[in-house]
Amino acid sequence: MISNGLIVLNVNGVRYELRPRVTATLADVLREELGLTGTKIMCNEGECGACTVLINGRPMLSCMTLAIDAQDKDILTIEGLADPVTGDLHPIQKAFVDHSGMQCGVCTPGMILTAKALLDENPSPSEGDVRSALSGNLCRCGNYRRITECVLSAAEMLKAGGKNE
Amino acid sequence: MSNEFSVLGRGVVRKDAVEKVRGEAKYIPDIQLPKMLHAKFLRSPHAHAKITSIDTSKAEKLPGVKCVLTHNNVPRVHPLRKFEYLLDETVHYPGEEVAAVVALTAEIAEEALRLIEVKYEVLPAVFEVEEAMKPDAPLVHPEYGTNIYHGTELVRIPRLTEDGWLRLEVGDVDKGFAEADYILDRVYETPIQHNCSPIPRAVICEWTGEKLTCWADTQTPLFLWRDLADSLGIPQSNVRIISNCAAGGYGGKTPEKTATLTAIMAKRTRRPVKTSYSRAEDFIGTHRRISFKNHNKIGVKRDGTITAIDSKIIANWGRDTFAQYMVQATALLACTMLYRYHNSKAETCGVMTNIIGYGPMNGFGGPEAIYSIEKLIDEAAEKIEMDPVEFRLENCMRYGDRAMEFEQVVYGPIKWGILGPDLNSFPELIQKCAEKAQWKEKWKGWRTPVAANGPKRKGIGVAIGMHHCSFWPSSAIVKMNQDGTANVLSMGVEIGQGYSTAIAQVVAETLGIRYEDVNPITSDTGVAPAAVGNVASSGTSSLINSARLAAEDARRKLFELAAPRLNATVDAMEARNGKIYIKGTDRMIPIGSICLTHWQITGTSNNPPVESIRDEKTGQVIHAYSAAVTIAEVEVDIETGMVDVVRITSGHDCGRAINPIIVENQIDLGLAMSKGWVCTERFVVDGKTGVMLNPNLLDYKLITFLDMPQSEDIGRIIVERPSAWGPFGAKGMSETSMTAFAPAIANSIYNAIGVRIRYAFISPEAILKAIEKADRG
Repeated sequence: MISNGLIVLNVNGVRYELRPRVTATLADVLREELGLTGTKIMCNEGECGACTVLINGRPMLSCMTLAIDAQDKDILTIEGLADPVTGDLHPIQKAFVDHSGMQCGVCTPGMILTAKALLDENPSPSEGDVRSALSGNLCRCGNYRRITECVLSAAEMLKAGGKNE
Repeated sequence: MSNEFSVLGRGVVRKDAVEKVRGEAKYIPDIQLPKMLHAKFLRSPHAHAKITSIDTSKAEKLPGVKCVLTHNNVPRVHPLRKFEYLLDETVHYPGEEVAAVVALTAEIAEEALRLIEVKYEVLPAVFEVEEAMKPDAPLVHPEYGTNIYHGTELVRIPRLTEDGWLRLEVGDVDKGFAEADYILDRVYETPIQHNCSPIPRAVICEWTGEKLTCWADTQTPLFLWRDLADSLGIPQSNVRIISNCAAGGYGGKTPEKTATLTAIMAKRTRRPVKTSYSRAEDFIGTHRRISFKNHNKIGVKRDGTITAIDSKIIANWGRDTFAQYMVQATALLACTMLYRYHNSKAETCGVMTNIIGYGPMNGFGGPEAIYSIEKLIDEAAEKIEMDPVEFRLENCMRYGDRAMEFEQVVYGPIKWGILGPDLNSFPELIQKCAEKAQWKEKWKGWRTPVAANGPKRKGIGVAIGMHHCSFWPSSAIVKMNQDGTANVLSMGVEIGQGYSTAIAQVVAETLGIRYEDVNPITSDTGVAPAAVGNVASSGTSSLINSARLAAEDARRKLFELAAPRLNATVDAMEARNGKIYIKGTDRMIPIGSICLTHWQITGTSNNPPVESIRDEKTGQVIHAYSAAVTIAEVEVDIETGMVDVVRITSGHDCGRAINPIIVENQIDLGLAMSKGWVCTERFVVDGKTGVMLNPNLLDYKLITFLDMPQSEDIGRIIVERPSAWGPFGAKGMSETSMTAFAPAIANSIYNAIGVRIRYAFISPEAILKAIEKADRG
């Protein structure tokens, strides 16, 4: 903390100096102060995975993380996943588009970011690996089979040297 | 899949895909307006109580509070002609709204709720239908005089008997039972389920002068539009509903009084007001799937003939609903129309209790009826030692069998007709599923599991299901743009089911332009012509059909304008590849060059009224029905009671798959929601207080990745038997996909464990209890 409750958050490569309420969660700050509403709130109590963001590369529930605890860490939200210069979709996003990985779309950002953390760690996951890594993310539309297909397809794309296109 | 089309029948990229993967799709909680205030509701802790005093003075003095609403200062109107007021001095279930506070922030509003002092006189309450039907039962609405709903002055149900029963009868049931070799008499229950939308209820209202704009998370903008105008006493022209930001409703995103109360707060403060429920509030303060107690009786002959069926359905309504008896009408149709019974009777009544009211949810009464019927059919097949697949093949509905209109069940008069060719798909679906699932190899006969390995028992089971696709009045506008692309204006709502994609595919196909060149502008009452909305599986059959007709109208106008330029008659033309050709030649004119010189090319249409839609062969007016068949394979651990659905084979007739990928995704939705409904999503109501005890996603367990079969173990079969009137023969299929999974899973569990579970919920606990009881004999 710098002083007087001022904190620094590094979100999608941008440094923000903010003075959040002490009780504000990272999800609150991302959504309300930074306008990054791609981080969705489905339960706001750590049960569904919709609000997942990557903190230092790890999938974390932003509704269960106090903003002050995210101080000085690298935060990636769904808005920061596409190529920052060209805006081209990340291969995981591309796979979700091509293989219809969404229905209502509320769980989609959290699914994609959790998948990114998995593929960063394990570039060649099995179907079982995908199901278990994503099992904390709920999809009320039951689109699980298609989402699994998207993640496996993204893994192939990334291995083939796929970059943002 | 047929390929005479350029856009139809292809799994094109969803219209909403890119915005959703970028996090740019906006839902109501994501919208911020300048100077917006936030509202919160105080809810009743009691199931039934009279408010003797309510003191809001401390709340009003809290800095940041702008307005407090109670029953003392809001108009006394019935939202949606329901059996309730906006705010009432009597509360009828735990969770009913008592007061509302609007403040600078949601936190201040919540703090203010704690400062409102309410004194209640607690009244007797009743939660179970059996209790509520007793003559001396506490009355949910004492002024109504009974807990059995029989209509009100606001809503009349012509076919309801004076004592509140809705009946449907064919043939002679007594005679049928007399002819039976066996009669089975069973009682089944179906569980409550919550829609549990990914985005809890939310709405924003803003007034500009006399005009109200309402950003609503609804799948029926038309209902909300009328309700807001009626409740507020203003013309519809002063109300605009925008719901292009709706999230998965599964039937439940239909109007509630929240929008009206939010509009009142916005008017009193002259600032935009947002109401955004928490997850717990969404559970306790919205509505849920209806629950049935079904008393079913079937007569069957040794040769496999069903001689009679009698179904009596008692529904627990909770405090009230807005879909009075339409849900149960769907249930009665399912009871009388799934099989070719010559003698059948089905009757139902709705009983009010002091629990949360029911609302529409995926299937709308059909799954609840079919869950019981399909268990009964299984028991009947076992009684005569007949293979359950054979028994269903023998008795399922076919072309030419007796059928009727859905609305007639409620409004009458009953006119039985002949089922059109579009529900002739059961035999084909059953055979294809049995083949794909290798039924003959796996089915070892009654009372024999497929396999037993230590405590693990494998079982297999089958069920069929159907649902009507409503033909409701609807209209659409197709507006050609200057470059030959098109906008389609529709009151339908993209709620995740793929509506905007499917409507664009149909319009592109009709106009002969690229799918990418059609922009669906949906769910804005300020722009789109009237249509009922995405309920009752009418999205495809009614709303998209009106868009097809509007596109045909626009195409005709394009042809008329092209005629002098091509020196040809309109009849000689066709549209494809963005051009208008003289058929059989390469003489053409690009659509864009016509649109560039004629700026006002607009196609409009009304869906034809129901009376004009007739089956060509029989002349009968019958709604479209779509059909589903499921074969489920489970593995049950008889020591823990855990059920693993290991393999699913599911066949669906959707008339024509406008987008097969989306159809498959909707099948998966049906599977996940069905398994959740009967196996994991237990909605626990406290028997003493009527309070829902598990209003969170930890204790109310939605299906996860790990609860679904592996990808290769979900077999999907799509059969296309075009309906005579849907767009390109398409029928709605999403609700149908909810009908056959649950009973197939239940029947396969029976095959695995050898004990029938007839009550509502198949939890591991219920399985262990059933096994233990059977062991004790």
